[in-house]
Amino acid sequence: MPKYPAKTYEDIERKKLDFDSLRTHLKLKQFEVKKNFKERFPKAHSFLKEKGIEFDKVRSHSAKVLSAGALSGSLLLSPVKEIKPLPMAHELVDRLSIVGGKFPIGGIQELLVNNLKEILPERARALSQNEEKLLEQVFEQVMGIKSKANLEGEHLNTTYGYIGAEQHLRRYPGDILSNHGEGDVLKEGIAPGLGAWGYFASNKDALSSSLEDKEKWYAVVQTLYLPEWESRQPYLRNWYKYRKVIIVNTNNGNAVVAAIADSGPAAWTGKHFGGSPEVMEYLGGERYKKGPVIVFFVDDPENKVPLGPVEYNKLSLPEAGIEIT
Amino acid sequence: MSKIFYDHLLELDKVEKSIKKVSSTKEEAIELWGIVDEIIHHRVFGCVLEQLPEKHHREFLEMFHSAPGDEKLLNYLKEKIKNDITIIIKEIVAALVLEIIDNFEIKISRSKKKSSGKNYSVH
Repeated sequence: MPKYPAKTYEDIERKKLDFDSLRTHLKLKQFEVKKNFKERFPKAHSFLKEKGIEFDKVRSHSAKVLSAGALSGSLLLSPVKEIKPLPMAHELVDRLSIVGGKFPIGGIQELLVNNLKEILPERARALSQNEEKLLEQVFEQVMGIKSKANLEGEHLNTTYGYIGAEQHLRRYPGDILSNHGEGDVLKEGIAPGLGAWGYFASNKDALSSSLEDKEKWYAVVQTLYLPEWESRQPYLRNWYKYRKVIIVNTNNGNAVVAAIADSGPAAWTGKHFGGSPEVMEYLGGERYKKGPVIVFFVDDPENKVPLGPVEYNKLSLPEAGIEIT
Repeated sequence: MSKIFYDHLLELDKVEKSIKKVSSTKEEAIELWGIVDEIIHHRVFGCVLEQLPEKHHREFLEMFHSAPGDEKLLNYLKEKIKNDITIIIKEIVAALVLEIIDNFEIKISRSKKKSSGKNYSVH
């Protein structure tokens, strides 16, 4: 039986009911496991409490420990075999410079991937300042885009992690999936809830092409786990809203400039970032669901860098920012 | 990055999907993510401490406190525990998914069937 538009309130009510039921169900389980743990392991419980790392605070504690390690550059937490001696910045730049000749299109991308392999650890982890600085130089040299791991004093908990496929976001009340294009990009569907910053526009008429692009090329980062997220509001919320980032697939060198438009994913998903269907398709093709990426802020005070694919591999060398010596 | 040493052993796609389905706002989803996270830590730690001889509890917790994301903690546990701790953690998590999501979905679909049944009954 078709559903009358006027009855969509029934869906909303049902959803609210489902949320409340799941919340209650989880809360009861949470109460049970807490009680059980405390009774079975009273000493461990007291230890964790004393150290201020009870299980509801353990994620923010972990983020603090990791960012302190990355800042000091010590990487104490990484297994020794994962710490590689970094190549010197000038060596990398030299490799990107061609003596008088032409660099084959596509070859630049291969060179980038090889350089990334040399710089990055085998498994995704928080990078050290030195590693990040080196990558910033490589990206600027190869793609001509100035990017920063640390911009205006802000830094993500990690800049090297796994990205996962996200759904389209509703841009205004009443927005539906079929308004988001056609073909493969519709396969992921539209998220049932809103993004962390709500609707992009108050109604369809207010949706500018710039806002349309922001949803099309959007990124998700874990603002919820930033150690100071709660204490530095509303500043951080405003700072991160639609902040431009460059996302580089470390396996194939594909790169996209995207706008941050949602918060997540949950830490226990094993992913650290998310990308809109368009972002994911460009990074790895239509079947790409998860993979390692680098995410840096784009340093673009004059708002000149457009959102979307960074097609450095299709440009002639001077346009791509490669110096020919 | 907020990492716990056993994060890579967690298979929770089903939980993620259910939460996405019922949450209308990001705040709602984040609240549920947090509760699930806490449940997982209690369960996994309960199982680890049960397997680990008590004389090593303090040392393990101290190590965890200084580096919660360090995967070397797993190596430590592998040394001190006879059984394969990675398999045990995976099993605990799989059982947890069953408890928190599968049971919930069965409950919900039963209640929906019941209420839709009521709607269609004609007296």
